[in-house]
Amino acid sequence: MTALRRAAAAGGAPAGDPRRLTLERLYKVYVSRGESLLAVRDVSLKIEPGEFVTFLGPSGCGKSTVLNMLAGLESITDGSAHQGGRPITGVNTDVGYITQDDNLLPWRTLLDNVAFPLELRGVGKGERRERAHELLRSVGLAGFESAYPHELSGGMRKRGSIARTLLVDEPVILMDEPFGPLDAQTRLLLQDELLRLWSGSGKTIVFVTHDLVEAIALSDRIVIFTSTPGTIKSIHTIDIPRPRDVFHIYETDRFTELFDLLWAELREEITKARARH
Amino acid sequence: MAEIQTEPVTLLPSVPLDADEERLQLREVERTRQAQRRTLIWIVSWRLTLLVVLLFGWYFASGHIVDRLFASNPIDVAKAFGDYIGDGTLWYNLRYTLIEVAVGYGAGTVIALVAAGLLSIFTTAHRVLHPFLMALYAVPKIAIAPLMIMWFGLGLTPKFLLSGIFVFFVVFMNTLAGLRSVSPSLINVARVMGARRHQLLLKVVFPSATPNVLTAMRITVPEAMVGAIVGEFIAGNRGIGYLINSASNQYNTAGVFAGIIAILIVVLLMDSLVTLLERRLMRWRPPSAADR
Ligand SMILES: Nc1ncnc2c1ncn2[C@@H]1O[C@H](COP(=O)(O)OP(=O)(O)O)[C@@H](O)[C@H]1O
Ligand SMILES: [Mg+2]
Repeated sequence: MTALRRAAAAGGAPAGDPRRLTLERLYKVYVSRGESLLAVRDVSLKIEPGEFVTFLGPSGCGKSTVLNMLAGLESITDGSAHQGGRPITGVNTDVGYITQDDNLLPWRTLLDNVAFPLELRGVGKGERRERAHELLRSVGLAGFESAYPHELSGGMRKRGSIARTLLVDEPVILMDEPFGPLDAQTRLLLQDELLRLWSGSGKTIVFVTHDLVEAIALSDRIVIFTSTPGTIKSIHTIDIPRPRDVFHIYETDRFTELFDLLWAELREEITKARARH
Repeated sequence: MAEIQTEPVTLLPSVPLDADEERLQLREVERTRQAQRRTLIWIVSWRLTLLVVLLFGWYFASGHIVDRLFASNPIDVAKAFGDYIGDGTLWYNLRYTLIEVAVGYGAGTVIALVAAGLLSIFTTAHRVLHPFLMALYAVPKIAIAPLMIMWFGLGLTPKFLLSGIFVFFVVFMNTLAGLRSVSPSLINVARVMGARRHQLLLKVVFPSATPNVLTAMRITVPEAMVGAIVGEFIAGNRGIGYLINSASNQYNTAGVFAGIIAILIVVLLMDSLVTLLERRLMRWRPPSAADR
């Protein structure tokens, strides 16, 4: 991990930029109870450093599977994925990984949860608490350091888990429907906050959602997946200028155009997926 | 811009000031505390009432409905208990039983935790050993008692072992179940964060088994006592089990009950120690409706 970053810092070749992801002819076959299922078929994609790319598609189409292959949590059945110049084989510790669940450790206070990745790296107690404290303040959670996860709202827990991911400065962040379980207002607030934290950070974000509005509001590019077996149906550049105002983006004409266009694409796949179930 | 009709919010003249709101909160804290205290008082008074009713029932039934020889009565039992304390019999025997239970419970728990931890790491070993463990688990522990006496004689050793065995399996099985119930997504997130194997175990897997461990530690308090008492029943010349046994041989029913009450007190004390431990370790848990 550090080797990679050192190479990047030393002005290594752009191909070695650890913020770049290259997916080449990815396949995933799941085998469970003796039955095989082709979940992902022939996915090829280049994600540029600092890009915000969203995977969009009906549920069950293989978005999480692709993301988990990038995190190294699922093996790649065929094809390859590279981060910078390095093939992703085992668990990928050069990415931040946020899922639908906040995955905070229920027996730890918020502060100790956020400091957890630093603890794993052997950073001393004083330093990691100080850094976690600072980050909690920046995501609006000052005053809740000693609360246990069950004492916090879903939005606060999600903020905590985002803070935990940002505390260690990984070049790529993978987010799997991170705002899925939240109420509409909290969702908007967190989308806004995510854009604020991301802008200028230079980090690459790969974001999974089945919510078209969210996808348009956040992304540079949207990758639409077909229903199972998941393959890339189409890729769209979202040319709405940044900084974006997630609260009012719906009012722009460009948003409406993009929405209609993408919805036509997406609806086809949702209908197919529905017919299958 | 579209128009929207907006209605002014009318504030009553006496809007509470910050100080008032603080007072409101304090009052509510005080109210909640009082409500909790009232409930506690209710529960304790019901417990005492029930105890008194039971004692009176026992007192009046004995000699009328049931033979006094077999039922004794609360007053005789209290006298017997007092006598046992007075002549040192109680402490002489209780000391022995306490040692057996403490060693059996402590060692049984610790060994079970270590064994479960090891088997959760070495999963293949676990799969190999599983049927053997289940077979041992299925044996009624009481059936092992005579063997223990035959092998280890009349001293403390067989009682340690019996008490320990009664504890071991329950803690072992529960801990193993707890270790395996750890959320896979917690593990995955920690792995992506760079957790090494030993860090996963120490910081994610083991802590998530604490609720199961504590449950098992609660269930096994009386089990540890059963193990020790069974050992003393079968063979031995000291301990509360021995005391009960010899009192019963002399048709000293009051003595038997006095022994049982001594056991009861010890078990209740141990149980409250586990409760203290639980309160300390489980503060992170949302309170459940079943909480006392
Ligand atoms: N561990 C697994 N074992 C077997 N099948 C799986 C597994 N994980 C996902 N699948 C299947 O793979 C397909 C894609 O799943 P997933 O990637 O989770 O979809 P999405 O994230 O787009 O909703 C689904 O049909 C799902 O049932
Ligand atoms: Mg998914």
